[in-house]
This record gives sequence, structure tokens and C-alpha cells, in this order.
Amino acid sequence: MYGRRASQLLGELAAAETGQLTVYNSDTFDQVIKECNEHNVQLQSLFRKMEEQNLDIQTTRNEDYFGAVIHHLSLARNKRCLMAYMYNRAETIQSLRWKIGKKLPQEIQEKLSFSEGEYFKNHSAAIDSYMSELDLDLTVDMIPPKDPYIQIRVLDDIGEVSLGDLEISLTRHSVHFLRRTDAEQFISQGLMEEFLG
Amino acid sequence: MASGSEPWSSGVAEEDALIGETTDVELLKRAWRNEKAAPEILQFQAALVLRAREQIQLLEGTVEEFVGNGVDDLAVSLYQMDLDRTQFLLRSYLRLRLQKIEKYMIHISKTNLWNRLSEQEQNFAKRCTDIMEKHLEQSVLSRLPFGYQSILKQSISSEEDDMVPEPQLDTFVFCKTRGDVGAFQLDDTGDEMVDLVADDLYVLRYKSIKGLVENGQIDLV
Amino acid sequence: MAGQSDPHLSIFSAPEVEFLAEDEVIEIVPNIRMESLHMICGDFGPFFPQIAAKVPLWLAVALKRRGKCAIRVPEWMSVERLTQALEAERESPREFQTLPFHYVEISRLLFDHAHDDIPDEYMVRSLIEDIRDVRFHKVETGLESISGRTHAVKLKNLSAMEVNIVRPFIIRTLQAFYKHDSPQMIQQPEATGNRRSQVADRGPRRDLRPR
Repeated sequence: MYGRRASQLLGELAAAETGQLTVYNSDTFDQVIKECNEHNVQLQSLFRKMEEQNLDIQTTRNEDYFGAVIHHLSLARNKRCLMAYMYNRAETIQSLRWKIGKKLPQEIQEKLSFSEGEYFKNHSAAIDSYMSELDLDLTVDMIPPKDPYIQIRVLDDIGEVSLGDLEISLTRHSVHFLRRTDAEQFISQGLMEEFLG
Repeated sequence: MASGSEPWSSGVAEEDALIGETTDVELLKRAWRNEKAAPEILQFQAALVLRAREQIQLLEGTVEEFVGNGVDDLAVSLYQMDLDRTQFLLRSYLRLRLQKIEKYMIHISKTNLWNRLSEQEQNFAKRCTDIMEKHLEQSVLSRLPFGYQSILKQSISSEEDDMVPEPQLDTFVFCKTRGDVGAFQLDDTGDEMVDLVADDLYVLRYKSIKGLVENGQIDLV
Repeated sequence: MAGQSDPHLSIFSAPEVEFLAEDEVIEIVPNIRMESLHMICGDFGPFFPQIAAKVPLWLAVALKRRGKCAIRVPEWMSVERLTQALEAERESPREFQTLPFHYVEISRLLFDHAHDDIPDEYMVRSLIEDIRDVRFHKVETGLESISGRTHAVKLKNLSAMEVNIVRPFIIRTLQAFYKHDSPQMIQQPEATGNRRSQVADRGPRRDLRPR
């Protein structure tokens, strides 16, 4: 059936979770491109046939004309699917700049076509140039800010620690008010916990 | 759904007004909310962004001074929080707009939405469009038969640009009117009217209240 | 786009709704003396021990967490008012009582950071939970009343969190009715990647010509 392969591409997009990239399906993609060109060959040969019979393409409505219309519509539909596939992927790729940063991990890079890889780099550079024109980094403050200080309870004897210009003794069960950024390392090691009064 | 007739009566709304609808933070928050909820890009709030940036810079300077002068940690950390909140709003607002540009760049560049962008956003949009065109050109369009290679049109037989992603203006949005708008026509035929009362919450089609959003009579929530 | 959920359906994240709620004004009773704060979001103070002052909730919580103030629980959060509100919510199946737009977030922030300032904390907590439940139930039944004729829905007194939760349902429902209700819309050319279903209707319009 005409157009089935192309719709498989979109099926892949639909099946992926929002914001997740699937591996660029170059096989199916190339096959759909090939289908497009085959439709065109058929379309042109039907037109040629009509011309050879001295029929006016604008007004004639015979089987060759309708055959040509079917090829035209199938081609146009395939094009739409190909474009939707690339465009939607490009949207996800754009969003990676905000979510991950300038450098994509290997496992994501492997999912991109060559052109998509280029696209990411160029788009990323466009964002950078906007930010430098504005002299403002927009890749920080992605979520609403919280109090930069946090109350914590020490779970294990940590001892004397210097945090910035602050010397502090972190004994077990003691409660302190620390910079969130200072506390995070200890929390992730299980040495402290956030303490809601 | 619920539609009582008594006016919004708690002191809560008034207190809101008390903190000053006029602070730039309040204005920025409104711009941010509207931008977030509107399907299409809105007018860039140039003067507001400028003022917000100036105030951020000023306060950054003050905080540094405070630290240097040994002003107590408490005040410094509170000012820092105020700074963080404003910075978040500003950045998020600018980011939202970039993301809309990323999504609808071609549509924006060929309609009068273009005039809603700041100069820097226009540069960004131009660059993005070039990059997107190049990408689609080399991955799809150049590999298609003649007559089907346009990025804007499905084929040469399309009369209008039928390949350009556009924001869906007929989507529904949640909104609150700031003052009484009165009877308001919701559709082109005038069959559907709604009485928009101050501070009531409505779900309406964006297209029909677009004008009210643009002139600031209604806020999206 | 194709097959993906409309990004406009979930607009504000929970932290963002909370962020907005943190700007609501609340009364504190400081236990310290502090000069006026001239902030970007407004001027607050000066602060004196035992003298009540109005500040945004985020500032109140910050001071409270540092042990510098007590927070005065807003009037609507008293057991008396909440009991009234709950009764009224139960009695009027189609109306929502007037509560602050951010009542859910405000009360949660206060429970998290100032629970010792809330008289009858457990009672208040359970009343608010009950009110939430009754209101959610009302929202659900209200959704059933949306019909094909609905061009506008009025949700008087619905709160921010409630808006956020019902938004996807209401928008999807209204959109579906709207689409099926307007035949002319189906023919209107709308070109986006996710509208491929319309492609089939679009025959060659003008010059389907050989090259």
C-alpha cells in the first residue's frame, strides 16, 4: 500500500516518549525517498502518455489522469511524513541544548543522522550567539529558585569542615544552616539529611 | 460549571493589589504567565526587560557592597533570594520566547508576528530558519523530485504555504479578566456571548480573546 | 506534534505554581530588628520585634526557617473558617467557595515550614485535605457537563492547583467538541506536521504539470 512505510516513521515518533529520541531510521527513510522518486517516474510517464495522445492535462479526467493524481497524492503524503519525521526530531534535538548542554553524550549522538548532528551544533551556536548578544546566560535558572540555604541534620560524625570562609564542626545529630550547594555533597553521601523544623 | 453571581469577595484579591501590581516583578510575572499560556508569541516587553535587567544589576552591585561592608548575612541572603527570583523570571521569560521561535520560526518570519520580536530575537530567528532550512534541504527536500522540493509548499500545485507549522490559535486557554470587560463576543457570528466579570476564571478559545490578551485586559493563568 | 501530547496542555510545573504562590502576602511577627528591605519585588519592613509586618510568603518562610519570625496564619486557614468552607463546599454541588487562588500551595508551604505557628495543625491539615477532595470531586462532575455547545466554561473560584490539574482534561474535551462541531474547520487547510490526515483531501489544485 502506498504511504505505509512513511507512516511507520511517524509511528516511531509516536511510540517514543515525549522528548526522547529514537535511532534515526535511515533504512526506512531512504526507502520512502525512493518511493517518492518512483511515484514521480510513474506520474511523469502517465503525463507523457496523455501528451502523446494530445490530451489536455488541465481538463482531461481519464484513468491516466486519476492514476497520476494518486501518485501525486502519495508522493505529497510521503513528503509530509518525511518532513514531519525530520521536523519533530529536530524539535527534540533543539530541546537537548536546554536540557543537556552543548556536548551530547555518545549514546545520543549515535541516534542522530549526520545532518542532525550538524543541526544540533549549528542551532546550539545560534542560541549561544543570542545569549552573547544579550550578555545573559539562559541555560541556568531552569527551575524556580529555592532558598539558597537549607537546614540540615548531620547523620554521622563528619568533624571539622571549612565551607567557604566558615569553619564548622559537624557532629552527629547536630543541626545546621548551610548553603544548599555545600550541603548537597554531604547529603548525596548520606552524611546529612534535610531537616524541616 | 459553577457560576455563582456574588462578586469575588475575599480580602485576598485586595491584598494582591496592595503589594503593587505595578512593581516590575509583578509585570514580568504577568508577561511570563501570558507568554507561557498563549499559543503564539506575544509582543516583546522591551522596556520591562530593560528595567528588570537594570534593577538586577543594581541589586547585584548592592549585594556585593553589603558583603564587602559586612552587612549582616541575613539581609544579604534575603536580597540574594529576591535577586534569584527575578533572575529566574527574566531568564524563563526570554527562554520561553526562544522556544516559541524555535517551534514556529518559519511562520513567524513570514507573518507580522515578526514585529513582536526583539532585535536579538529576530537575529536568532533568522539564523534558526537558515539552519533548519539547510537541514531539511539536505536530509529531505533535495532528495525529492522536482516540484516537491519546497519547504513551504507540499508541491508546486499547492496554492498557499501548506507545510509551515503554525500555532494553534483555536486552542482553549484559562484566563482571568483584570477588570469587568462586560458582554464579549466569542465567535465571528455573534451567537456566543459571555459576560466577563472581573477576577472570574474562564476557559475560552484563545482566538476569541487574543485581542484582550494583547491589550492587557485579560491574563492567562 | 505527531502522536505527541500537546505541550500546551501542561503549562505550569508544580514548582512553578509554588513559585507564584510564594509571592502571596502574609503577615509575620519578627523577633528581630532589621532595616527596610528595598527589593526588586517591593519594599518591606522596617522590622521590629513583636510588631507584625506584611511580606511575601517566600520572605516569610526564609525568615521563619532562620528562626527570625513567627508566621501569622491567614484568617481563612482557621479551623472555624475552614469548617464553614467545607460545609459550604458540600452543600453547593455546583459552586466553589472563595478561597485564595493559591490556597493549596500556601497551606502546604506553611505546613512544611511553619507548622508550629498553626493552631490546631492536624485539624487544619485534615480540613484542607477534605476541602480539596470535595472540590476535586466537583471538578470531575463538572467536566461531565461539558457538551458540544460549550464555547466557554466559567470556573469561578477554582484555584491555581486545580486549574493545573483539570487543564489537560478540559482543553482536550473542549477541543474535541469544537472540532467535531465545526465542519468547516475540517476543510480549512492547516499546515502542521501533525495534521497529515488532511493531506488526502488535498487534490492537485492548479497546475499538475509535467516538467
